[in-house]
Amino acid sequence: MNGFLEYVPGDSLLHRLNPMAKIAFAVLFAIACFCTSNLIFLAAMLVLGIALAASCKMMRPALGLMKAVLAFSVILAVLLLLTNPSGDVLVELPWGYVGTGSVLAALTTILRLEAAAIPLFLAFYVTKLTDLSNAAVKVLHVPYKYAFTFASTVHFIPVFMNDMAAIMEAQTARGVEFDQGGIVKKVRLMVPLCVPLLVSSVRKTNSAAIAAEVRGFDLRTRESGYKAYPLTVADVAVLVLAVALLAAAILLQVL
Amino acid sequence: MIHIQDFTFRYRESERPVVEGVTLDIPAGVFAGITGAAGSGKSTLTYAMNGIIPHCYPGDFYGTVTVDGVDTCTATLTDLSRAVGSVCQDIDSQIVTSIVEDEVLYGLENFGVPHDRIEARVTEALEAMGIADLRERAIASLSGGQKQKVAIASVLALHPKVLVLDEPTAELDPASSRQVFELLAAYARDNGTTVVVVEQKIALLSEFADVLIIVDGGRIRFAAPPREVLAHSEELLELGVNCPRSTTLMNRLANAGLYTGPVCCDVREASEALLEVVA
Amino acid sequence: MIEFRDVHASYDEDIKVLDGVSFQIPDGEFVAFVGTNGAGKSTTMRLMNGLLKPDAGQVLLDGVPTTELKTSQIARRVGFLFQNPDSQICCSTVREELLFGFKALGEEGPDAEAAVDGVIREFGFDADADPFLLNRGTRQLLALASIVVLAPPVVILDEPTTGLDFRECMKVMGIIRRLNEVGATIVMVCHDMEVVADFARRVIVMSAGAVVDDGPTFDVLRNPHALGRASLIPPQVVDISLALPLMDERLVESPVALANTLDEMQAAVSEEAGR
Repeated sequence: MNGFLEYVPGDSLLHRLNPMAKIAFAVLFAIACFCTSNLIFLAAMLVLGIALAASCKMMRPALGLMKAVLAFSVILAVLLLLTNPSGDVLVELPWGYVGTGSVLAALTTILRLEAAAIPLFLAFYVTKLTDLSNAAVKVLHVPYKYAFTFASTVHFIPVFMNDMAAIMEAQTARGVEFDQGGIVKKVRLMVPLCVPLLVSSVRKTNSAAIAAEVRGFDLRTRESGYKAYPLTVADVAVLVLAVALLAAAILLQVL
Repeated sequence: MIHIQDFTFRYRESERPVVEGVTLDIPAGVFAGITGAAGSGKSTLTYAMNGIIPHCYPGDFYGTVTVDGVDTCTATLTDLSRAVGSVCQDIDSQIVTSIVEDEVLYGLENFGVPHDRIEARVTEALEAMGIADLRERAIASLSGGQKQKVAIASVLALHPKVLVLDEPTAELDPASSRQVFELLAAYARDNGTTVVVVEQKIALLSEFADVLIIVDGGRIRFAAPPREVLAHSEELLELGVNCPRSTTLMNRLANAGLYTGPVCCDVREASEALLEVVA
Repeated sequence: MIEFRDVHASYDEDIKVLDGVSFQIPDGEFVAFVGTNGAGKSTTMRLMNGLLKPDAGQVLLDGVPTTELKTSQIARRVGFLFQNPDSQICCSTVREELLFGFKALGEEGPDAEAAVDGVIREFGFDADADPFLLNRGTRQLLALASIVVLAPPVVILDEPTTGLDFRECMKVMGIIRRLNEVGATIVMVCHDMEVVADFARRVIVMSAGAVVDDGPTFDVLRNPHALGRASLIPPQVVDISLALPLMDERLVESPVALANTLDEMQAAVSEEAGR
């Protein structure tokens, strides 16, 4: 049973890359997607993203993510479609028209968001959080406190999500109608439940802080980390590829 | 190893002391079990032993607590943690990483264990808890019993002189609870570790502990080998502590004049004693 | 009546938890489900009030499949006490917490107020106390009270005594027994075999997603084969009573070999020693 953004063990090339290289690649990849409106390029990026997911046997979470992003980006795309009259007129609207340009813009938005999201999410699924924060400390010299705070936050997301699920289940069992009605109703029902969630979160973070302290949190320095995170040839290659993709995106846009 | 003298503690937000006038000595290498009703102050007592009191919870602290010769009030929590390993009640919040191996590495890295010795320590701790095969697993995918073993292994790796556990089996089924106690007792025996464990399952304490400590209303009512403490089964019941049924049975038979032998701590002892009575 | 007909269930589509479970629980029963963590007990409970729907087979509540009902509709008939009271408690006073169930079901009114007052008296609660400041045992009692107040015909309890001390445990179980005596069907998951022996009238043993034994409490608890398969240990008195005839075969016919409770064992030993 694997949760949202939770590491999935494996030994694919992506798993073995330096955590920093993975994150840098994912971020540069996303920036590249936002730098260009070239549909063919974006489609290629999407295919590359899917190929990456397939290479580390992560197709199922990737498809799940794509569905979620699709839902979100379709809303954006519809807005664009209706408010961005350009190109040849296709449908007349009282306030303007839907044109070929509007369709293209909407399609670009969907493709761009889909393509940009995959590697970012993938990075979390193929990287252990501790590796990520340890590598940030070792390679980027990020102070450990910040790295640990970040890692703990992400570490607790699934814990809190489980708590929330348990709370909602308990309330459904008491007759609160979480299982009927629309999203607005659900949100309205959820608001009072934030109190128990908050109480349990504060308790948990408190004892987590103590648990970390009694295991020497305060002593930790950059040298403490047992694992080393050297940049390998593969890491450099990945970074070069990322920069090349970004350059290509910018070039396509400028030319 | 643990020396508590006239210890009284009142949490800042409570009106009355939770622990009052406690004097207790736990020698090195002893497996001590603490039990008592809810709110009796047994958790507070363990917080005093691992330094969480006074370092994390503010309040009025009277008396002295020394662990391995160090006064817990003057030493920092980090320094105390070098000698005392703690496993708290809520397993989920105790765990700081996502992978079993990383969880065990965490303390080792922090306390600056030389890197060439880390691998051996990790392997040894995982083996001591019988979870060497879980090393690469995501902690979220483990059962409660497995998680608890990971939490204990991550503390054992630090080679603590004292191990303090607060209800380590609260959420485990009987088979896993028993297994945790067996592994703990074996480790403590082999390494001379002092163990202090708070536990509601008195049958486990009766079987595994060298010393059984009964806390009631912030005071220690009994602190002796289980056999001596369990002789007072009716008094214990008044304190909200229910003896194992095998003990209660034999104590009742003793009261009825049918049994004259020593107090029985578990099913095996009771069965053997009963055989004498009925055969 | 709750009926499971060859129920298969899983989580996340691919993790099978129940593998062909069948049983019937007539009204007014007091059933305990026992088994190790992961045996499928909690899943079985969640199927009973529709929080989970079966992949195959049927779960019937008074003859109606749960697939045709919403959990929030089932809530009127089936009360569910979760293992952790903190996922259930959500109001800022004890009184509001007890009224919450009526609100959720749309049944506010003088009757609800009267029921709440009655339960506050019965449990001895402070009506204005903040639930989050109560200790663990009292929170568990409050969570139980918020179900008792609705007087559902069926009450499901997922490890109702976990984390409680002996007194709290007896208090909670005493209330559950009284519910049963006034007609409620009780279904509980319980790890404490002494509690099972003291309170349940029927025991269902689960192991690896299947029912391995089902029958009157002591018939099941005296079946070392089924308990062994489920990695369970019988309650201590039963354990002793089973051990004695193995240690000395002259005791096979003796009453000590049949004693199930402390009182029975004490009487049996007196009788045997008197011979």
